[in-house]
Amino acid sequence: MESLLSLAPRFGKAMLVTLALGLSSALLGALCGFVLNALRLRFTRWLSRPYRAYIWLVRGMPYLSQMVIVYFGLPVLGLTLSAVQATVVSLAFYSAAYFAEIFRAGWASIPPSQLDAARAFGIGRAAAFRTIELPQALVFSIPLLANQTILVIKESAVASIITVPELTMTASEVVSSTYTYIAPYAMLIVCYWLLTQFIALTARRVMKLIAPLEDA
Amino acid sequence: MSTLPILQLRAVGKSYGATRVLQGIDLDVMKGEIVSLIGPSGSGKTTVLRCMNFLEPYDEGEVWIKGQLLGYRSAGRTIRDRDSEKGLAEVRRPVSMVFQQFNLWPHMTVLGNVAAPLILSKNASKADARKHALAALTRVGLAAKVDAYPGRLSGGQQQRVGIARALAIEPEVMLLDEPTSALDPELVEEVLSVIRSLAQDGMTMVMVTHEMSFAAKISDTVVFMEAGRIVESGPPAQLFGNTGTPRLQQFLKPWFERSLSAPISLEGRVDTI
Amino acid sequence: MSAPDLLARCLGYAPQLLDGAVTTLYLSLIAVVCGFFAGVFIHVLSASHNRLLAGFARTYVSVIRGTPMLAQLLVFYYVPTALGLPLPGVMSAAIGLSLNTAAYQSQILGAGFRSIPRGQIEAAQTFNLTRRQALWHIEIPQVVALTLPALVSEMIDVVKATAVVSVIAVTDLMRVGQQLASVSYRPLEVYTLAACYYLAITTLLSLAGRALERRIARRT
Repeated sequence: MESLLSLAPRFGKAMLVTLALGLSSALLGALCGFVLNALRLRFTRWLSRPYRAYIWLVRGMPYLSQMVIVYFGLPVLGLTLSAVQATVVSLAFYSAAYFAEIFRAGWASIPPSQLDAARAFGIGRAAAFRTIELPQALVFSIPLLANQTILVIKESAVASIITVPELTMTASEVVSSTYTYIAPYAMLIVCYWLLTQFIALTARRVMKLIAPLEDA
Repeated sequence: MSTLPILQLRAVGKSYGATRVLQGIDLDVMKGEIVSLIGPSGSGKTTVLRCMNFLEPYDEGEVWIKGQLLGYRSAGRTIRDRDSEKGLAEVRRPVSMVFQQFNLWPHMTVLGNVAAPLILSKNASKADARKHALAALTRVGLAAKVDAYPGRLSGGQQQRVGIARALAIEPEVMLLDEPTSALDPELVEEVLSVIRSLAQDGMTMVMVTHEMSFAAKISDTVVFMEAGRIVESGPPAQLFGNTGTPRLQQFLKPWFERSLSAPISLEGRVDTI
Repeated sequence: MSAPDLLARCLGYAPQLLDGAVTTLYLSLIAVVCGFFAGVFIHVLSASHNRLLAGFARTYVSVIRGTPMLAQLLVFYYVPTALGLPLPGVMSAAIGLSLNTAAYQSQILGAGFRSIPRGQIEAAQTFNLTRRQALWHIEIPQVVALTLPALVSEMIDVVKATAVVSVIAVTDLMRVGQQLASVSYRPLEVYTLAACYYLAITTLLSLAGRALERRIARRT
């Protein structure tokens, strides 16, 4: 027990690194995914195929393989990124596909009749987007967005392979320096679990605030 | 007559928490007898039926099948004395059931549905099971549909498959839980005629039904239940003959009016249908 | 760097990458199959009346879903070593992957189980089928048909998840890629080619899954 407590400060710091890494990648990915979906909605005829191709590519390969391409492969083309930069960029690129699909589902959940009504009352496309589509799609999407953020945080563990000082890397360091295995890895599991539970709980509270009347 | 009833209920009672759903149920069913349970919704008639094969456990009294206690190891028992799965299976082996919603297994063919209890529960060989299943299906007039899936059949056909499934295990008592209630009116007769012919062959049956005319013509005993108790029981002539208790009269009033005729008197039974 | 040279090099990498891909598929298959049976078991536990068993199942699923695959693999690789029973990398990988997918499959299957009408189980009881017989002959065939799209999706996720076993010294597709990249000093080519292998596998699985769904839909 006391060995666990002695590890707490180090793991606490690593938890913050993982959280920062995960949240910034997820935020960037969500933004990109949102823009992608918005563009697809606006320019459906031209962008539908490239969009599907991008989704197929990104979701067909493991994140690890994409991360190593960005970190080890891009320097060949002249673009060298630090480990942290490579992680955030590749994780954002990867999660953007999933976020885009979430937003696509969110928009698909809006009955088209509402858009007809908007047009009938002379509400312009941009205004309709802002006041009718956006709020409903977002409320629908929040649980899925939270879940995807959790997935991003879990994928970030892979960054330990390129020595980003996050949770998994820290655990491995402790193991190799102290030759104990059980305490560090137990801490590792607990820390990740706490992080993901925290995100899930926050999402639930946000849902209650925003949509107290929804049955979902 | 001193033969043992094939099915006996003694002071059977059941509660769901604080609500009493059955109280003091006494019933004897002899071999070859047809018993109909009638009564308003919530009277407990379906619950009684489901206690007869322990689909629902009863809390008080005893249910005996061919002289063996159903569901418990000893009479006057506590919860701890529940019989094992094997013991229960042994006792209720002679009993089979036909369900209101048919409860066929949609991923198996008609033949598969009828043969499954034989293969899985009676350890029959696949060939043997097939033979018995085919015989049962022929009996209900569905031999042509052996390879069809239940989803493709009409309600009446599905229920007949259900009856075939109940027949194939060669039961000694058949329990029927509102067998025609879920059917469109034009499909009811095909099922009733199968039940009629089984009765003619001497099958012992306990049936919960709302088909009053059918119950009147086919039964040896009619049992009227309300609020978890047996209010009146006796031959159809007695219950349907407008001489019963006031509550029964009230329950049967729509049926009397619909059947145009005055209260019926019945002579003979099955052979006059 | 010219195109024919590039092609020649890629063909040179191909046999080793193929070996790695076979290991990846082999591990994925073991994980998915073992995970299926374990997943059924976990679901049965979680639906049990025994609060201890149900609680254990729920905690297990929560921990697996709330922590990264990599962390779980490290636990299954190093903890047995610490307890004096070192396991070869492949075995730890198989165990870790199976236990991981079992948790997810239990959730997928659970949704299927809940949609089987209770009456079918009652019929099984009436005809004296044991609980195990009802589970395997009545419920599971229907549950698998119902949840097939989600199961295929999970299988694809398992294939992608296997990439991290490269960290515990298993020569899967990813690890072969790493070895080739360090030997050839051409990381971009090698890693991109390895990624294409993954893409091929997941795409084929996806197509096969859809064909299977169509076959099953035709029957009902």
